[in-house]
Amino acid sequence: MRTHFAEVLASESVCLAAVTNGAKLAGWRRRVVEELMTPRSPYALALRQAGDGAERADFLDRWRELITETLDRLLRSGSTGDTHCSSGQTRKADADPRKTAVLILAALHGGSTLSQIAKDPWPLNAALDLALAPFVATEDNGPARTVMSSPIGTMSP
Amino acid sequence: MTTADSHNGRRLTARGAKTRTRIVTAASDLMYVKGVRATTLDDVLAASGVSKSQLYHHFDGKDALVRAVIDHVGERVIEREREALGHVSTIRGLRRWRDALVQNNALRHGAYGCALGSLASEVSDHDAVAREALSRLFNEWQGLLAGVLRRLQDGGGLAPEASADQLATGLMAALQGGYMLAQTARDVTPMATALDMALAHIESLSKD
Repeated sequence: MRTHFAEVLASESVCLAAVTNGAKLAGWRRRVVEELMTPRSPYALALRQAGDGAERADFLDRWRELITETLDRLLRSGSTGDTHCSSGQTRKADADPRKTAVLILAALHGGSTLSQIAKDPWPLNAALDLALAPFVATEDNGPARTVMSSPIGTMSP
Repeated sequence: MTTADSHNGRRLTARGAKTRTRIVTAASDLMYVKGVRATTLDDVLAASGVSKSQLYHHFDGKDALVRAVIDHVGERVIEREREALGHVSTIRGLRRWRDALVQNNALRHGAYGCALGSLASEVSDHDAVAREALSRLFNEWQGLLAGVLRRLQDGGGLAPEASADQLATGLMAALQGGYMLAQTARDVTPMATALDMALAHIESLSKD
């Protein structure tokens, strides 16, 4: 487990440091989605539930800090995908980098779990669209979906 | 009186059904607290007080038991969520739903996470039947959230062009990821933050 945590943090330090505008943040997001959708990639393994609690907590704290620094930098430079936001969306000026970083980590965690069970990157992309809305334009997430596309059968007792 | 055993199609007597329920309930509790992988059939035998032959009468092995646990936990969660979300049509109602989940998780310092989400993160790799069952259950849960968002749209509380399904999936991911962050931190604060941020975004879509 320790190796996966270290590998992801090493990779994230480099990739997030290179994010200087909304388009590059979108590129970062695409790469992370690819990593998480690759079975047994360091990212997929690092986000699994098993493993040492203290090490996992430290890993998540450090990743969250890297994301927070990146978002903070984007806000200060004013170079985000704000122009793509529709009038109703959360404005970057209102965005709190630390809290947004928590939502992004939750979206990566929860979205990848939903994507694993669905065998489809769509839920993970939907999660990141919501989490990154103040900072980047919405990804083209394929055709519109209906989550209840078919009637759910009666569950067994 | 007989009851159908959903997995092997056998008819169960009332006594057989009671034994099966005892096994599944004990397994559900153990898997929630210890995790699926760490729970052995011997643990389930000890906790349920049934004999090995009784357990194997109902279940071929651990995979079959895990599938029954998914059905059992899923039914409970969906019933709870249908009750909580079935008539919600405002952001305030969604916030009350968030408060209940966060408060409930705070009682355990976030230690165990979501009963259904924990199963999803542990069993999705190696059992396609279990994975598909979980996928259906999460679809149903997200469908309840999408229903709330459509009612919000009907009432003018959410822009009509917003995709209720996509937002519902994003909100579910924030919830599940929030549970996982809380579990690691042994503190519900990150779960509360993730849900608040997701709901704030949904609320922002109602503004002109």
